[in-house]
Amino acid sequence: MGRAAYIRRRLILMAFVLFGVTVVIFGMVRILPGDPAFLILGDRATDQKAAELREQLGLNRPFLEQYWMFVSGFAHGDMGKSLLYRQPVGDLVLTRVPITLALAGYAMGLAAIITLTFGIVAAVNKGRWPDQLIRIGFLFALTTPNFWFGILLILLFGLTLHWFPVAGFGETLPQHVWYLFLPALTLALQLSAVLIRNLRGQIIQTLRSDYVRTAHAKGLSERLILLRHVLRNALLSTVTIFGLQFGFLVGGAIVIETVFALPGTGQLLIQSITARDYPVVQAITVVSAVLVIVVNLVVDLSYSFLDPRVTYE
Amino acid sequence: MFLRKTGWQAMAVATIAALLLSACTQTGSGTGSPTPGTSASASTSPVSKVLRMARNAEPFSPFVPWQIDDNPALFISVNVYDTLLRTTKDGTSVEAGLATKWESSADGLTWTFTLKDGVKFSDGSAMKASDVKASLDVARAGEKSAWKDVYVAIKEVTAPDDKTVKIALKQPYAPLLSVLAMFSSAVLPEAMAKASDTKDYDNALAWKTKGTGAYYSEGWKKGDPIILKRNTNYWKGTPALDEVRIEYIPDDNTRVLKLQGGETDVVDFVPFSQIAALNTQPNVKAQTFTIQQTAFVILNTSKPPLNDVKVRQALNYATDKEAIIKNVYFGQAKVMNSPIPQGTYYDKNLVGYPYDLEKAKALMASSSGSAGFKMDMQVRSGNTNFANTAVILKEAWAKLGVTVDIQTLDTAVVRTNYRAGDFMSTPTAWTNDMNDPTEIVNYAMRGGASPFAYWTRYNNPDLNDKITKADLEQDATKRAALYAEIQKIYSDAAPIASIAYLGATAGWRTNVDGFFIDGLSYYRFEDVKFNK
Repeated sequence: MGRAAYIRRRLILMAFVLFGVTVVIFGMVRILPGDPAFLILGDRATDQKAAELREQLGLNRPFLEQYWMFVSGFAHGDMGKSLLYRQPVGDLVLTRVPITLALAGYAMGLAAIITLTFGIVAAVNKGRWPDQLIRIGFLFALTTPNFWFGILLILLFGLTLHWFPVAGFGETLPQHVWYLFLPALTLALQLSAVLIRNLRGQIIQTLRSDYVRTAHAKGLSERLILLRHVLRNALLSTVTIFGLQFGFLVGGAIVIETVFALPGTGQLLIQSITARDYPVVQAITVVSAVLVIVVNLVVDLSYSFLDPRVTYE
Repeated sequence: MFLRKTGWQAMAVATIAALLLSACTQTGSGTGSPTPGTSASASTSPVSKVLRMARNAEPFSPFVPWQIDDNPALFISVNVYDTLLRTTKDGTSVEAGLATKWESSADGLTWTFTLKDGVKFSDGSAMKASDVKASLDVARAGEKSAWKDVYVAIKEVTAPDDKTVKIALKQPYAPLLSVLAMFSSAVLPEAMAKASDTKDYDNALAWKTKGTGAYYSEGWKKGDPIILKRNTNYWKGTPALDEVRIEYIPDDNTRVLKLQGGETDVVDFVPFSQIAALNTQPNVKAQTFTIQQTAFVILNTSKPPLNDVKVRQALNYATDKEAIIKNVYFGQAKVMNSPIPQGTYYDKNLVGYPYDLEKAKALMASSSGSAGFKMDMQVRSGNTNFANTAVILKEAWAKLGVTVDIQTLDTAVVRTNYRAGDFMSTPTAWTNDMNDPTEIVNYAMRGGASPFAYWTRYNNPDLNDKITKADLEQDATKRAALYAEIQKIYSDAAPIASIAYLGATAGWRTNVDGFFIDGLSYYRFEDVKFNK
């Protein structure tokens, strides 16, 4: 099967996965106790007033009808109206998705640089102090809750050194890049902690293989051996983990966005869950699911570039 | 090893250095809004008079004064819209607002208000009595008004001429002046007031404000900072600040860090634990302001053995309020002796429930709960103060044989449960929206119908009668006596476990002058300025 057919099959699979996601999320937000009408109207609201609002918002219609409205609306690009803010959900969510995506992308970029740098340094220094230092340092990053880690970075780089802003998003593109650095670094350091361990192990293993010895025997330069022969083979499993971690990043972004006051989907999701704003929660969840699926597909496709022997069947 | 490790190490160092450098150069190239490194000087320069505030929450109610039911929206509203009367800064009385003079007829049934001369809306049009009438009419009878209850005593509002507003009452109603000082009684231009009640009037329209307040807004969308521009037509004189820019920063620590870093000028909701520490730092000040707020635990009097008054009194005596104030509120609160906040008609002489474990044990021993019982305490997740209070109470009440089962639940769930009566106890807080106790006694003490005396299910017909009487009584001394009685009866019945009077906290850069949170927890930017 060629790459095109593989992509087609994955996209069909994606439709099934999305169907599952919509059913699960639609059911879950409605199983949660708590009545959106009273949350919107406040404690003073009378039962009658709440009933009127439920009618107006369509919350007292049969579940199946509500589900159908949600799914068919989504298929037409209409995500409905936020219960709390009475604004189209599309406007609320879609302006924020790029921020979360940028954060996740930025974090992945930083993680790639950090992983390659420290993974290789650790591997070639196996057992010596640079290796130990990297392993201990990243173990610390991995085991520290990311909201706390974020605050530590703010204290050091924001308040003490004044290199980066404390929090916020900025207004121009260069400002965005600058404001997003610390939150992206927070996520990247934790992600790298997982990846470095893997890459280090893979490189050490690959260095022992026969073809590396052959390469040495041929008199190739060490840099060439490492970059062309060792790294490329070692990277395969690291890339798989890297792709799988995108879902983790989107999840981690929710907490990090709150700490760094970034107006991304994470903040909105937390507010919307608390307010039982069903359409917003549904929209964010489905959009995130699509993103995670697409990124994983891209990662799967990237194998064939790293290793031409990989075929899709 | 066979690799030239020095090469790789150098590369690693170079990569990191490049990253940091590229990030640092942004500091210099940042345009538009001030960068952290330069913001402190930017905000102190005489050219820029933009006050930056970071707030803990975003408004969500429709931005029409009488449709507002959330604090973030009403805090903005009082800066944009004005009322006939205003609550004094200490929150215990009313003073002139858009009306300069007001008097009542001898029978107390008709009130006449004379409007101030030359008041204009932010668009420059003159404010007339017909605007006041239209606004009050929509506030008290509009389809979408959330505050109709407080206006039920009003029979009719008329505007005999441009400068005079007459309010006719169905019966004498003592809290009228306080009601007219509430944010929901604000004056909008007649056309806007009427339009606000139509079906397709939305928040986008509402945020293009036209008020008589110190500032106005040209529009706001969720997620954006709220921008308030100064109203050059303001009747108290043009405000010193060009603009107030309010940003939404939900995380308490981040807000405070932004203040310390000079990225914002004012923040609200500084955690009580950080007030003292902030005041030791240069350029920053933090303070707790006295507001009319109480913190207490709702006891569901319909659930045995909480239906026994002795059990409830015992729980009150066993509550070490000082300990909670010290450990939860870091000393930034006062012991609560009366069930109503420290505003008008608050009885400071009421004894309440001073901590007395022996008395508590004796009461419990002679009650229906003497054998000990299990009690759930439902705590809203995310509220650290309530959670810590619950932990202290669990230990304190265990000494009476009460096993408190702390359940941390979503706010939505706690609300659903107390509406349904599906709880035994839950910590909560109350803030007065007006300076008169009529609001709290009618909402939190009157039983029989929803909200069932603030969901306590306490219902005392004698107390209900007194609450009605106090609303009708015109004589201030007699009203004070009635409210003293009401406080005593309710306190003795103990449907709540009283804890503390709380304050509202804020922090600001020391170059900001005049930031003040008033007794009803509003803050107005009209008197705020930069001092250098």
